[in-house]
Amino acid sequence: MNVEAFLVAVLTFGCLFSVLTLSLNLQYARGGMINFGTVAYFAVGAYAYAIVTQEPPSGLDQYLIGLNGPWWLGFLVAGVGAACFAILTGWPTLRLRGEYLALTTFAFAEVLHSFLLNERRIGNGSVGLANVERPGISWADVPDSYVFAVAALLLMLVTIAVYRRILASPYGRAMDAVRDDEMAAEAVGKDVARMRFEVFVISAVPIGFAGALYAMITTLVSPDLFTAEVTFFVWIALVLGGERTMLGAILGTIALVVFQEVVRGIPFETVRSAQIAASVEHMLTGAIFVIILRWQVFERISFARSQAE
Amino acid sequence: MSLLAQYFVTGIATGSFLILATIGFSLTRQVEGFLNIAHAELLGVSAFMTWGLNVLAGWPLLPSATVAIAVTSVFGLVIARTVYDPIKKLGPAVLLITSVGVAYVIGGGVDAVIGTGIRTLDIPLATTYKFYGIRVTNYQLLVIALAALTGVSLALFLNKTNTGLAIRAVAANAELAASRGVDVRKTSRATWLISSGLAGLAGVMLAMIATLSTDIAFHQILKILAVAILAGLGSLYSVILSGLIVGIAMDVSVYWIPAGYRPLIAFAIVIIVLLFRPQGLSGRRAA
Amino acid sequence: MNSEFLIVDGVTKRFGGLQALGGDGGLSFTVPRGTFLGLIGPNGAGKSTTFNVISGVTKPDTGAVYLDGQNLSETRTPEIAAHGLGRTFQTPRAFPSLSILENVIVGADSAGERLGAVLSGRWRRDEPKLKEKAAAVLNRVGLGSRMTGSVASLSGGELRMLEVARQLVRDPKILLLDEPTAGVDPSLQGKLSEILARLHEDGTTLIVVEHNLHFLLRIADTVVVLQNGELLAQGSPQAIRSDEKVVAAYLGNDHAA
Repeated sequence: MNVEAFLVAVLTFGCLFSVLTLSLNLQYARGGMINFGTVAYFAVGAYAYAIVTQEPPSGLDQYLIGLNGPWWLGFLVAGVGAACFAILTGWPTLRLRGEYLALTTFAFAEVLHSFLLNERRIGNGSVGLANVERPGISWADVPDSYVFAVAALLLMLVTIAVYRRILASPYGRAMDAVRDDEMAAEAVGKDVARMRFEVFVISAVPIGFAGALYAMITTLVSPDLFTAEVTFFVWIALVLGGERTMLGAILGTIALVVFQEVVRGIPFETVRSAQIAASVEHMLTGAIFVIILRWQVFERISFARSQAE
Repeated sequence: MSLLAQYFVTGIATGSFLILATIGFSLTRQVEGFLNIAHAELLGVSAFMTWGLNVLAGWPLLPSATVAIAVTSVFGLVIARTVYDPIKKLGPAVLLITSVGVAYVIGGGVDAVIGTGIRTLDIPLATTYKFYGIRVTNYQLLVIALAALTGVSLALFLNKTNTGLAIRAVAANAELAASRGVDVRKTSRATWLISSGLAGLAGVMLAMIATLSTDIAFHQILKILAVAILAGLGSLYSVILSGLIVGIAMDVSVYWIPAGYRPLIAFAIVIIVLLFRPQGLSGRRAA
Repeated sequence: MNSEFLIVDGVTKRFGGLQALGGDGGLSFTVPRGTFLGLIGPNGAGKSTTFNVISGVTKPDTGAVYLDGQNLSETRTPEIAAHGLGRTFQTPRAFPSLSILENVIVGADSAGERLGAVLSGRWRRDEPKLKEKAAAVLNRVGLGSRMTGSVASLSGGELRMLEVARQLVRDPKILLLDEPTAGVDPSLQGKLSEILARLHEDGTTLIVVEHNLHFLLRIADTVVVLQNGELLAQGSPQAIRSDEKVVAAYLGNDHAA
C-alpha cells in the first residue's frame, strides 16, 4: 500500500470519525448519556446532503426528491437534519433515565436503517444513492483527497472549539455535577432532563456535518454504510482512548482507524481464513473493550501518575 | 380473514419465544440493575452448542439441549463473576457498555468457530396440525407450552421459595433487602444461573424453530429490548403480556405492510410506548 | 398564607414486599413555617424515606406532600429545589470532578447554565459574585482554607459540611439535613449548631434527622418520632423526653448509652 495514501486516509477518516467520538465523549463522559444510535445522526447527515445536492430522479432512480442544490446548502441541511432527528429521538426520553435513552437511540437507529432499506423513495433502498455530488472546489493541483483531509481536520477543530466553550462555562460545571451525581445535582435545582436533552441535540449537529462530509468523500450513501457497527466502532474508539479527555477520544479513534486500515491491507489465501480473521478481529476489538472497562486501565494509569507526582 | 387468524396464531408462537428470550434479560435487569446486551449472545451459544452436540457429535436432541442449557447457565454466571461484578460500583451505564464488548467477544467467538452458512438440527421435520383451517406445527406448540410452563414455574419460584422471595426483595430495593438480612451475593448467583439458563432454553427453541446462522443472536437483542421496554424495565409478569403483544403485532402486521418492515414493528412499539407510557405496561415508574 | 408550611398527608411507600412508610392510615404530620423540627427514630424507622418523599426523590404510593400549598408529589425534584427546598443526604454526596469551591458554586442557579448564555459568553459577568458568595459560605462552615482542594481530601464530616454549604449558597426556604453531625468532629459540630441556630433565627424552616439526640434535643423546637414507618409521637423536646411510648420504644436505650 502506498504510504502517502495510507496517511491521508488515516488523517481523513481519523478526523472525521473523531467528530463522532468527540460528540459521544460530550454526551457520555460529560453528559452521562449513552447514545447507542450514533450512526443514525451520521446517516441523516449523509442522506440529507445527498438528497439536497443530487439531481431530480431520472431513469431507473426510485428516489423521489433531488433538489440539485449547492453543496453548502446540503452541508447545512445535514447539520439541521441531524439536530431535528436528535430532537425527535431525545424528546420521548427527556424525562427518563439514561438507559432508556440508550435503548431509544438504538431503536431509532434501527428504524431509520430499516426505512432507508425498505423505503426506496428516500434513497433507492438497498442500492443507495451513487455519484453524490462533491463541492466544485479545486485548489490548483491539490488532489481532492487532500482537500477532504483538510476539511475533516477543520470540522474536527471547530467541533473541539465549540465543545470547549460549553465545557468551560457554568453549563459545563453543572454538566459535570449531573454526571457525577444526578440526585445531588437535582437537589440543587439542576434540571437533569433539560440539560441532557440540550447537550444531546447540540452534539448531534457536528455528527450530521461529518455525515455530509463522509457522503462527499465516498460519493455513495447506502444503508450498508450505516449499520450499528459504526455506532460500536465509535464507542470502542471512545473507550480505547479513555473517555476522560478530548485528546483521548481523538487518539482512540485514530488508533482504531489505523488498526482497521492495516487489517484490511492483509491479503488472505482462502475465504475461510479471511472469515476467521474477521471474526478474530471482532473478538479482539471486543476483548480490548472489555479489558479496558473491566480493569479500568485508564483510571489506573492516571492514579499511578498522580501517585508519582 | 383466515389468513389473519393464521398470522395471529403464528404470532402467539413468536411471542412465546420472545417471552422465553426476554424473561432472563428482565430478571437480570431487575436484580443486577443493568441491561445485559450480551444476553442475546447466550442464546447463540446455546443454539450452536445444541447443534454441535446434536449434529456433529450425533447425540439425541434432549441430552444435547440439556447440556447446552446447563453450560450456558454456568457460562453466564462465570461472565458475571469475572467481568460484571468487579465493576458493579461504576454504575449501570458502564455495565451496559461493557456488555456490548462481551457480546462482541462471544459473537466473534461463535463466528470464528462455526463459520458462515445456514444450519439446522438433526430432528424430524415439523408435523403440521390443522384446526379450523389454521396450521400449527408441533414445534410451535412446544414453544408455546414451554413458555407457559416457564412463566408458571417462575411465578411459583418467585412467590413460594426463599430464594425467589429474596430475588424479588433485592430487585425492589437492594439496600433495604440487605439491611433485613437477605444474602445479596447468593441471590445474585441464583439470578445469573436462572437468567442465563433461560437464555439457554430460548437458544434451544431458536435452534428448533429457525435455521441458524451466526448473526442470529444479534437480531434477537433488538426484539428482546422491544419486549423488555414494553413490559417496563422493572417488571417480570408483564414480560409475558408484552412478549405476546410484540410477537402477534410483528406477525399480524405482515397482513397489511411489506414483510421487510416486520422487525420494524417491534421498534415502532418501543417508540410508541416511550411516548405514551414510559413506565411500560407494568405501571411502575422509572425512578 | 398558610402557617402549615409543609404538610405530609397520609403517605405510604412500599419497596417490594417491605413496608417502608406508613401503616394503615399512612404517615401524616405538619410543619409550620420557621419550625426547627427534629426527626428521630430507630434504624429502619423510615426517616430517610420520609426525606426522600419530601424532596421528591421517591414518589409516595399513596398520600401526598404539600409545600406552601403545592403538591410536591406531582413536582419534579429540580423544580422542588427551585421552589426553595434544600436537602442533604444520609451518605454525603459530593461532585468529585469539581473542586471544593466549585462544589459550592454549582449549588447556585447561574445564568451561565442556559445554553444561549453559554454560546454568547454572557455568563462571565456574574461569575465573580457567585465565587465570592460561595467563598463566604465555605468560611462559615469552616472550609475556607480548603477551597482549591479536591473533595477527595475531605473527611466524611467535612463532606457533610460541604453539602450544607452547597445548600446554603441557594438560600433555601426549607432545609432538610440527614444526620448532619455523623462523623463530624466537635469543633465543626459547634459551627454547625451555630449555623443552624442562625438559619432558624432568619426564619428558615429546618428538618433534621439525627442520631445524636443530645445535639438535636438541645436545638430543635419540635420533634417527630417515627417507628416502623409510622408516627409514634410529635411534640416539644421536653414532651418527647417524658413521653412513655417514646422512652419505651426508643429513647430508653439511647439515654443509657
